[in-house]
Amino acid sequence: MKQNVLMNLHHAGRILRLAAAVVALCGFVNVVTTAHADETCSSPYLARIEGQEEFLYVWTLGVEGLGDGADKLVVIDVKPGSSNYGKVIYSHSVPGRNEAHHCGFTDDRRQLWLAGLDSSKIFIFDVHSDPARPRYVKTIEDFERATGGAAGPHGAYPLPGRMLVPCLSNAKDKSGRTALVEYSNEGNFIATHWLPTRDDARGVAGAEFADGYGYDARVLPRKNVLLTSSFTGGKNYMRDFADLAKDAEAMSHFGGSMILWDFHTRQPKKVFNVPGAPLEIRWAWGKKNNYAFSATALTSKLWLCHEDKNGEWQAKEIATVGGQGGVLPVDISLSADDRTLFVDCFGDGKCRVFDVSDPHHPRQIYEKQIGRQVNMVSQSWDGKRLYFTSSLLAHWDKAGDDNEQFVRAYAWNGRELTPKFAVDFTALKLGRAHQMLFGSTKVGK
Amino acid sequence: MKTFFTVTLLVVHAVALAEGDPASRPADYDYDPPAPGSYALPVIKPAADGALVDSNNQPVSLRELTRNRITVMSFIYTRCAAAKACPFATRVLLQIHRASADDPAVARELRLVSLSFDPANDTPERMAAYSVLASKRPTAAPWHFVTARSAPELQPILAAYGQAVDQKKDPRDPAGPLNHTLRVFLIDRAGNIRNIYSSDTLDPRLVLADVRTLLLEAAPSEPRAR
Repeated sequence: MKQNVLMNLHHAGRILRLAAAVVALCGFVNVVTTAHADETCSSPYLARIEGQEEFLYVWTLGVEGLGDGADKLVVIDVKPGSSNYGKVIYSHSVPGRNEAHHCGFTDDRRQLWLAGLDSSKIFIFDVHSDPARPRYVKTIEDFERATGGAAGPHGAYPLPGRMLVPCLSNAKDKSGRTALVEYSNEGNFIATHWLPTRDDARGVAGAEFADGYGYDARVLPRKNVLLTSSFTGGKNYMRDFADLAKDAEAMSHFGGSMILWDFHTRQPKKVFNVPGAPLEIRWAWGKKNNYAFSATALTSKLWLCHEDKNGEWQAKEIATVGGQGGVLPVDISLSADDRTLFVDCFGDGKCRVFDVSDPHHPRQIYEKQIGRQVNMVSQSWDGKRLYFTSSLLAHWDKAGDDNEQFVRAYAWNGRELTPKFAVDFTALKLGRAHQMLFGSTKVGK
Repeated sequence: MKTFFTVTLLVVHAVALAEGDPASRPADYDYDPPAPGSYALPVIKPAADGALVDSNNQPVSLRELTRNRITVMSFIYTRCAAAKACPFATRVLLQIHRASADDPAVARELRLVSLSFDPANDTPERMAAYSVLASKRPTAAPWHFVTARSAPELQPILAAYGQAVDQKKDPRDPAGPLNHTLRVFLIDRAGNIRNIYSSDTLDPRLVLADVRTLLLEAAPSEPRAR
């Protein structure tokens, strides 16, 4: 066999022509036979769903006196044509109420990590063996000790073979001083990277804006950059919001920064002044689109972080969301073609849709009342389906009749949102629906 | 099958021969790599042992291939024809192999390993044919092409390294019959995994910077227990 190959190699010209054709063919076939899909906000390192999502995983906060009162992973069937379409088909409760918040798959999509902001516990489920019925694997119980004092794991962002866990707080004083933490896919601690502050600037540009707060963390691999945003610490996010809002001193302890990092070295490079708690970050997907959007919750602004023509990274305010007064924009979702940005506003329960084909000049084109409160939005890769949840934080959700708890699904045709199904999480005694992720039995690379 | 094997090799050779200068700045990796030694590579986990067979059909332990040198190890299967998967990983290892031929310090301390997760098809004979990639650079770092005797012997290795592999529903998929995550591991001299690369991060400039960062570290220590 080896002799044959060596003989072939001697016919280099003929072989190269044939091989080039084979390579071109393989590339073509790969494109036409593999229709990868997913949520548009997922990590670029995540193995992709092939075709359409089949399940919606909903990380849900328990409510005292409602059902078993515990946080739980809820599975909704969203497979087209299924007799259970739009229905809850499974739920698995974890011990207690942990301030269930965000979650994330490992990069191979075999595990789902569910983070608790209050307990600092991370619950790990196997979603590979039976995606319709995730199997509990284990809990990371010693997060604060293992990480050297980071607290309030906000979510879990897949990197190759490991998870990046951006935090909101710390164990020492429960303020917003916090860190990025890395764990292996097996759930073993790797490293803690504290966010820079004015007193611990580590040579970062814009050190005067370094407040040490954290929230989201997302990577643009092509540019080797990591971008982080900032919210507030445990003392604030675990406090009743109406009470908090009257406390001017406490309200001064919110993040007002975004940080650009060298991703490979995990070293902070530049701090941007972004007042008003910039939350979710969405990098554009286009090969030449070197920019990301964010929205500031307290000041109701859209921000753009972008590489300018000189190769320098900048951040600037690009639009107001909801006019004067503030509508508390909490989640954003960018379409896969980078042209449409959906902005969920907790304050008035509306989803506002912006044309961002010119990212420097967004233009609102539509708005829809989703509920009396709305938090997260997940969008399918083809832009045709959007799913919404209702809960922001246990102590920040609205009260009385305004405290609707739901998952609601809509179809988007480029002009308007049309209801597809709704699941009432209160009527089903499930709790407060927070973040959603897509599941499927068909996962590619 | 023989035809398919030859075509697969041609694909590998084509991408290998088409690869450019590892020092260049391609569109998919549009940044300057960091200076070696200017950053830390924390331990991720110990590199697990396992029973393998080399391209001469001789038994070899994975431990032998992941200790006393810095190791860059790629999980592959030779039937893979997905453009951004195994042929791509092999191309990057080839670039590193070429770079090591021109850098005695790297060649002296580095080894490359291509480990097949398709033992039923990737026999020692087939891995030997694949190893022609490494045969023309006597001054380069050693490059080992290994496989397992059987799926049961392979399985604990895949589990320990977190290498996901599934059969595709369509075994005739032109990109190859297996679904898998692209995984390349950087392992220090003591046998600790220090980085894990996927197609989005498998930039040969970064891998070489990481290798040289490990070269600048102090003497090796025992693998860190977990």
